[in-house]
Amino acid sequence: MGNQSISKPELLEFIPKPSRLPAVPVDGFIGRLKKHLFSNIWNTLLTVSVFTLLFMLIKPFLDWAIFDAVWSASNRRECLNASPDGACWPGVIQWFNGLIYGRYPNDQQWRINLGFGLGILWLVPLAFKRVEQKILIALSAITLFPFLANFLFLGGSDNQFNYIVACVGLAYLLILYINIGLIYLDRKILGEYLEPLIGRFYQRRAALLGRLLCWLTVTVLLAFLFQNLTLLLVEVDSWGGLFLTLIISGFSIVMALPIGILLALGRRSHMPVFRWLSICTIELVRSVPLITVLFMSVTMLPLFFPNTMELNKLVQVLVAVCVFAGAYMAETVRGGLQGIPPGQFEAAKSVGLGYWYTMAFIILPQALRAMIPNIVTSFISLFKDTTLVSIIGLFDIMLMARNISIDKNWLGLHTEPLIAISILFFIFCYSMSQYSHRLEKKLKNK
Amino acid sequence: MSERTAIEISGLNKWFDDFHVLKDISLTILEKEIIVVCGPSGSGKSTLIRCINHLEKHQEGSISIFGEKLENDKKSADIIRTNVGMLFQNFNLFPHLTVLENCTLGPIWLSKIPEVKAIEQSIVLLDRVGIADLAAKYPGQISGGQKQRVAIARALAMEPKIMLFDEPTSALDPEMIKEVLDVMIDLAESGMTMICVTHEMQFAQQVADRVIFMAEGEIVEIGPPEQVLKNPKWDRTSQFLEHILSH
Ligand SMILES: Nc1ncnc2c1ncn2[C@@H]1O[C@H](COP(=O)(O)OP(=O)(O)OP(=O)(O)O)[C@@H](O)[C@H]1O
Ligand SMILES: [Mg+2]
Repeated sequence: MGNQSISKPELLEFIPKPSRLPAVPVDGFIGRLKKHLFSNIWNTLLTVSVFTLLFMLIKPFLDWAIFDAVWSASNRRECLNASPDGACWPGVIQWFNGLIYGRYPNDQQWRINLGFGLGILWLVPLAFKRVEQKILIALSAITLFPFLANFLFLGGSDNQFNYIVACVGLAYLLILYINIGLIYLDRKILGEYLEPLIGRFYQRRAALLGRLLCWLTVTVLLAFLFQNLTLLLVEVDSWGGLFLTLIISGFSIVMALPIGILLALGRRSHMPVFRWLSICTIELVRSVPLITVLFMSVTMLPLFFPNTMELNKLVQVLVAVCVFAGAYMAETVRGGLQGIPPGQFEAAKSVGLGYWYTMAFIILPQALRAMIPNIVTSFISLFKDTTLVSIIGLFDIMLMARNISIDKNWLGLHTEPLIAISILFFIFCYSMSQYSHRLEKKLKNK
Repeated sequence: MSERTAIEISGLNKWFDDFHVLKDISLTILEKEIIVVCGPSGSGKSTLIRCINHLEKHQEGSISIFGEKLENDKKSADIIRTNVGMLFQNFNLFPHLTVLENCTLGPIWLSKIPEVKAIEQSIVLLDRVGIADLAAKYPGQISGGQKQRVAIARALAMEPKIMLFDEPTSALDPEMIKEVLDVMIDLAESGMTMICVTHEMQFAQQVADRVIFMAEGEIVEIGPPEQVLKNPKWDRTSQFLEHILSH
């Protein structure tokens, strides 16, 4: 460190400028309107003309959709008689149940509601502050919930495995909620009450075993409790509507991320076999349209299985959509991986972390965080893309909407159902993007 | 200083494509020895210690750590993990983890220490480098000097016997250099084997057992600090020293 021999430049004298007046606060609705829309003459003119234009564009639509619309009628003829220039909503209203549940029997629809309710309940704890190990909750939801849902939605009596896994899942959910209650009451969680008991026989791992034992007990209890429950078998063919759309998109959204991560890692791998396999999969899938992948899976997948095995269409579609979404996700994830500075790999290596630990704890968390907006964008487009399954004859919400127009009462009613499902899609997609904004903000603070 | 050999480098040669970065380097470092490496930019100092940490692979010669030769296998990775810690010029903390999590990650997942105990130990280490109160902060919220001290604590958490430093203070403002150097001096006095690439000559004079001067991929001068810094045998060394001392 040296002697400061270089002479410093002469310092200029500091002359303060007079401070500005404090900003006048503009409060309230009127104040804000004034500030942003009518601050000067040009702004006022612009505002007025834009609003007039908007009004002229939207007015006819509103007239059609609301003011001249017919809300109750029993067929399309009545609608047309009542108001020839208005929308005819009764068709949509009558078919609404079909739009949501497809051709699922009416008296069984509580199973769908219950299933989705449980799914939401499963994810709610992720938002609680004091709940720990949220990763485990998410993982359990991903691995166990599908079985529970399948058990509920499909029903039937000859599926022991499904029944047991469903009980395991339900037990997990029950314990989760009891534990959350206990945590907020500042008590010990269920498993810890068993800890001293187990500790007597087996010191090590007593905490873990306590939890597992508790889980097992509740599972067995539940399995006995529900052993006489038989749900009516509802074949996959009659699943449909928004329900089916949510199943397909939900499943593929959940699967796309792990598939995408594996493919992206494979693509960067130093092992040629994995690298080339990944590159081929990604490039092949990305260069054909989803419809082609769907058709191929319906016609080609059966070739790989023995003749005796009957594949159901839903499974084929799920496979196709997952692979398709995974390939796109792989490129998104790869973009995130490329943004990680090499220093992070070196630091991880010098701490001694191996490849998988480095990826799991250091690289992927950062890469995925940076990629949240892109990931959610692909989720949203995937959600909308799933409407394509109507083309291969699954009665998803799109096909149900088009079915309205061939119902003999509502023959030719095309526009209204499409608008109705657009609103439904908007609600889902908009909430997804809002959620991602919130997530981004929350993670940015760290 | 004990008589056990910590690092043994013999006939080390390394090329980047056809650029000969390290030329026939041989060096024996004893346990608890403090080595300071200096030399002009591009002379291969970083490459040398990155080879010791196996971040770079060498083409000829051998490097042994406590008698175990480094190869490209899992065993070498374990040897390095349990014996060697490294610090970087730009800290390379994990930005998505808190200061404490940065330190406990290795112990929990690699040394399989129970979480509670790992946290206790890391707090002790953070206290030792003087920043226990920052444990809950994220790297983005602390100063450069504090970051480098976290990096030291993170490396120490793996209980290494050898620490490598690659210009740990050259990305820092002058007033933060001292706080990091103090920690390094403390480490040196506690009996750590250290190789420091640094241009802090005061530090070299105070704690180094030997100073190495590198130029163009070769060790051109090696010896106790008084000899290398005060009476260099080689012109290049004295020119370089004059240069860094004058600025
Ligand atoms: N990954 C690489 N590929 C090719 N050349 C490299 C690579 N890394 C370093 N080099 C070259 O090797 C030479 C030695 O680099 P090194 O980083 O070891 O120098 P250094 O002594 O640490 O310099 P500095 O004081 O600037 O850090 C430099 O000429 C550099 O350009
Ligand atoms: Mg360097």
